[in-house]
Amino acid sequence: MAYFVQLVIFGLLAGGVYVAVGVGFGLVWGVLNIVNLAHGALVITGGYLTWQLFTAFGLDPFLTLPVDAVALFVLGYALQRGVINRIIRAPLLFTFLLTFGVNLVIVNILLMIFGSDSRSVNPAYSGQGLEFGSIVIPYVRLASLAAAILLAAGLAFVLNRTRIGLAIQAISSDRDAAQLVGIDLRHAYAVTYGLGAACAGVAGGLIALIQAVTPTAGEPYTLLAFVVVILGGLGRVSATVVGGLAFGLVEQFAQSIPGSGSVFANAIAFGLMVLVLVTRPQGLMGRLR
Amino acid sequence: MALRKLALLAVAAVSAFACGGTTSNAPTTGATITLGAPLGLTGSLTKESQLTQQGYDLWKDWINAQGGIVVNNVKHPVVIKYYDDTSNANQSAVLMQKLITEDKAQFLLGPYGSAATATDAIVAETNQIPMVEANGAAQAIFNLGYKYTFGVLSPANKYLQGVIDMAATLTPKPTTIAMLSADDAFSLEVANAINTYAPTQGMNVVLFKKYKNGATNLSAEVLAAKTANADIVLNSGHLQEAIAINKAAKEQKLNAKIFAYSVGPSTPDFIAALGADANYVYDGSQWTPQVKYTPAFYLTESQYVAAYKAKYPTFGDPDYHVAESTAACLALQRAMENAGSLDPTKVRNALAALDVTVFFGQIKFDSRGINTFKPMVVEQIQNGVHHTVFPTTVADAKPQYPTPSWDQR
Repeated sequence: MAYFVQLVIFGLLAGGVYVAVGVGFGLVWGVLNIVNLAHGALVITGGYLTWQLFTAFGLDPFLTLPVDAVALFVLGYALQRGVINRIIRAPLLFTFLLTFGVNLVIVNILLMIFGSDSRSVNPAYSGQGLEFGSIVIPYVRLASLAAAILLAAGLAFVLNRTRIGLAIQAISSDRDAAQLVGIDLRHAYAVTYGLGAACAGVAGGLIALIQAVTPTAGEPYTLLAFVVVILGGLGRVSATVVGGLAFGLVEQFAQSIPGSGSVFANAIAFGLMVLVLVTRPQGLMGRLR
Repeated sequence: MALRKLALLAVAAVSAFACGGTTSNAPTTGATITLGAPLGLTGSLTKESQLTQQGYDLWKDWINAQGGIVVNNVKHPVVIKYYDDTSNANQSAVLMQKLITEDKAQFLLGPYGSAATATDAIVAETNQIPMVEANGAAQAIFNLGYKYTFGVLSPANKYLQGVIDMAATLTPKPTTIAMLSADDAFSLEVANAINTYAPTQGMNVVLFKKYKNGATNLSAEVLAAKTANADIVLNSGHLQEAIAINKAAKEQKLNAKIFAYSVGPSTPDFIAALGADANYVYDGSQWTPQVKYTPAFYLTESQYVAAYKAKYPTFGDPDYHVAESTAACLALQRAMENAGSLDPTKVRNALAALDVTVFFGQIKFDSRGINTFKPMVVEQIQNGVHHTVFPTTVADAKPQYPTPSWDQR
């Protein structure tokens, strides 16, 4: 029983990070219709930023998260305004090509600046946690889950309660009508991508706490974000939260299959994604559009 | 008249002899030898590939400072042509072919990793050009009957055997093993070898768990190891996974007497990433700066470390990836010298017959082309520093055993 409870806890805690990775990706995909292949690179940029602030200034990694968010917002805004806006109405393939190119550029810039060394953020409380009998809840992962939920809530607030958020939602519903009522498309697009990048940056800061960061370490997270968003459903932040936590749980239980079964953890998780696509194409929580 | 002819003949003979004498004493400089190597200078294997390149370049600088490789009394300077295979094994093979056809590489140095070495071995074989490699330890590469691929490193099945040998000498003797292994060919070979070897030393593998190569969330695996309550926790995988397992072990208070990881702890990154949590961790290593061999040529261990630090001052001590890569170059050099020719087949035959000891240890290939003659050593991280702890003949410290529980560190 304790083993089962422990697995559920680890699954939810891992899911927290997946939520953080997924929300920004889902936003950009839902509003801009861009499957952002540079998402993982943005995530890992946030990871490096946290590492740099932690090692150079001794800043607590969780306090670096707002810095990651702001820095990545600026980077994302500039990227969208200067580069990606140019092909926003082009066929999907062009956005694939462009964001893949951006991904390569970012990864190689990181490689030039930081080299290929594995960097890791190890605060004093790393590895410590709450203990209930044989069940442990590591502080770092618990705080990561909390940060991810806060991030999602913050994003939902911006989208639903602020003027620019409503403008973004309007664009998501009908781009041309939104333009007709006077919404500055280029600005709103850039803000959307900036918000997506900011979420990626926060996710990266959390990831730097639980694994070693290298320039290419972000690539698996692009795929992961894709799965999480499909699982939960496109178009709502809360759906991505459900998708991320569900993915964390499924992965954890698949990995705990005795013997060599855990090799199929990914296959099981992706199998679930296919199942969701077949039976509920809008995702577990998504709305049909 | 006849006398004059005789005198001229005598002068000609003397001068010919003198010329011949000069060439035998001081070799002339011949054509440059081009070596080729695809490396993962970008992508997931960047770090290890960079270390490989450092090992190759360290030798290249040294040999060119000597004037080149002396083959049949002619000194041939060396250039090494690199391409970036983006850590992709298939791309590595494409570039290996390009090195042969377009860049006219006469001999090949291996890429990084068993996967790329396996694909490149096919290219070496089809073109009948010797490839000496230092970073592909999977025996699967050498079980295919290739004649042109030679590996200077100890094969995968030996990677963690040293840890078992060492454990057998410790008191209280550990008897149970939890093995967490990545699912790639190399890691599985390392892990499976322990499955069969441990019982011969009176130990049992009580948990054998495979995970997806490259996984970063390994808490379920570590939880399984904790539940198994084994004395020894082994990981056969890669740097990232070793870091993830060590972090999860601390979080979950997994207390084992021995933590040993096949790849990872020997790199400086492991200590940098984990700080004090890296202490007490063991690894099987191809080479450490502390080993003592009697080299037949090139540098001694201490000279090698000094040369490395002079060229790469920010990197600390050379790790075994660097040393084995240099050793591959030394094997190729000695084979060319022994063959007295740059003919690929003759050099290939000289490699097959090679038996020489350098700073890296004995280099000798079995009939498959892999170096089964050099032993592995066991390292332990003690107070943030790598120490060689086994075999005792080359050790510079005693194992700190058993590993204290996480609460007591």
